[in-house]
Amino acid sequence: MGLEFLNRVRRTTLIAGAVGAVVMATYAGPWTGLALAAGALWSLLNLFAIERLVVALTGRDRGTPATVKAAGWAIAGMALLFAAGALLLARLPIPALLVGFGLPFAVLTLKAASSLLLGSRVWRATVASPWRAALVVATVLVAAWWVVPGLMQRPAGAQTAATTEHAAPAELAAAPADEHAAPAGGEHAAPAGEHGGAHSESKGPQKFANVITILARAFPDAGWAHFLHEFEAVIYALFVALILSVIAFLASRNPQMIPSGLQNVVEALVEGLYDFIAGIIGDRHAARFVPFLGTLGIYIWFMNLFGIIPFMDSPTSSLNVTFALGLIVFLYAQWIGLRGLGFVGYIDHLLGQPRDVTGWMLAPLMLPIHILGELAKPISLSCRLFGNIFGEDMLLVAFVSLGITSMSFLPGWAPGLPLQLPFLFLALLTSTLQAAVFMVLATIYFLLMLPHDDHGHEHEAQHAHSH
Amino acid sequence: MTDPPRPDRNDSGLRSAGLLLAIPTLLIVSPLVGFFLGGALDRWLKTSPWIGLVGLALGFVAAGRETQKIYRRYLNEEDRSKRR
Repeated sequence: MGLEFLNRVRRTTLIAGAVGAVVMATYAGPWTGLALAAGALWSLLNLFAIERLVVALTGRDRGTPATVKAAGWAIAGMALLFAAGALLLARLPIPALLVGFGLPFAVLTLKAASSLLLGSRVWRATVASPWRAALVVATVLVAAWWVVPGLMQRPAGAQTAATTEHAAPAELAAAPADEHAAPAGGEHAAPAGEHGGAHSESKGPQKFANVITILARAFPDAGWAHFLHEFEAVIYALFVALILSVIAFLASRNPQMIPSGLQNVVEALVEGLYDFIAGIIGDRHAARFVPFLGTLGIYIWFMNLFGIIPFMDSPTSSLNVTFALGLIVFLYAQWIGLRGLGFVGYIDHLLGQPRDVTGWMLAPLMLPIHILGELAKPISLSCRLFGNIFGEDMLLVAFVSLGITSMSFLPGWAPGLPLQLPFLFLALLTSTLQAAVFMVLATIYFLLMLPHDDHGHEHEAQHAHSH
Repeated sequence: MTDPPRPDRNDSGLRSAGLLLAIPTLLIVSPLVGFFLGGALDRWLKTSPWIGLVGLALGFVAAGRETQKIYRRYLNEEDRSKRR
């Protein structure tokens, strides 16, 4: 086991620990998240001290004053760590701390196991053919499909009580709308009855029924239906990503010098996006940022349009999805700033670049102002996209309902007027426009993070944030 | 397949439009973010409504600052396009 392997373990643990801490802080409380992070950090430091000690005692230079000193520091550090560990155990939730403590060892074990697996003959045979590999992945996904809902299922009594309580009113609400659903234009089945089996259904405005909500209503007691309904937006977002991946794969698997068919369409789209983004951010940075920004634009465009397809839903009509997209842009923009300025320069920028007494006195004021200005960007991005797409969905629901109501004076079965049709075309336009706006603004936020002189401002060689 | 070298693009109009597009929502969202973050701190520290109000004020300042930054950049773009 080389030191490089340990470095990789450390990096993976840091990422896994950070993600785990955020998840725990969100779902189990901030102290639990902090405990997991502290446990993982403690364990990593301990691993580092052990590594130093082992290297000092067994390395080529062992016995020299420098290695003896290093060993002494490692032992002192371990003693301090154990004292800190005792303090942590007394102050923070112990189960989360233990999970954090165990994280590096879990990563170590998994990495060792994956090293063994990747070198094995079975693995090589599996990945030799893409179809065989796809079959294995599909099998794993199907297994997960069956296992995960089972694991997530609550105790039987509690679940039955909860679903019975919530399903009944939702079904009652769905019934009258369903009667008029089909005549109103097929795809928009039940404006009033989207949510069947979950708990937050009767609150707020309701959207059109989609495949998942219909399934959730049809199987109100099934764990898998509850799971699907709970993660509806994420599932649709992943489905769109899958469709885009397949399109990209099909378009690029056999590239021709003179493109035709799908390759032609995709190349035209990519080239158009490249020119568009390069026009804003400049040619020098286009190659670096177009893959991210272009993907973002196409992905959002498809997600926006997905809601127009019958029995589907726009993932971007969920604030969770749009906020996640905004967060990605925010993190990338901060990364650009951090890389450009360095850590100290970045903190200096956040403090307003104080260079004299007045500057330092204003620094405590400049820090929250800068942070608020940066935080406002992803929130404005996500709120704008969510508001527009959700509003577009609501507009369609309103006009479908109006179309049904306008013909309700006729006795018995009567088709509704398709009043939503003009707004479907409007939805096509706004979906495209909102994807473009999101992409343009993300590009602008990146542009604001880049040095000015890239665009010909020789007189302003300072960073975009330096004023 | 190697692409031929691309001509240098000069879409300062597009860039200016994009820059100005960012201003309206930043003006609205910054004070709201300040107010809600301050409100969260107020609830935590039981100091309602003071930190929320300070956050609101800071949010307005942040919005103004961001707008000034974007507008200055826009003016630079305009200067540059006039010089060409």
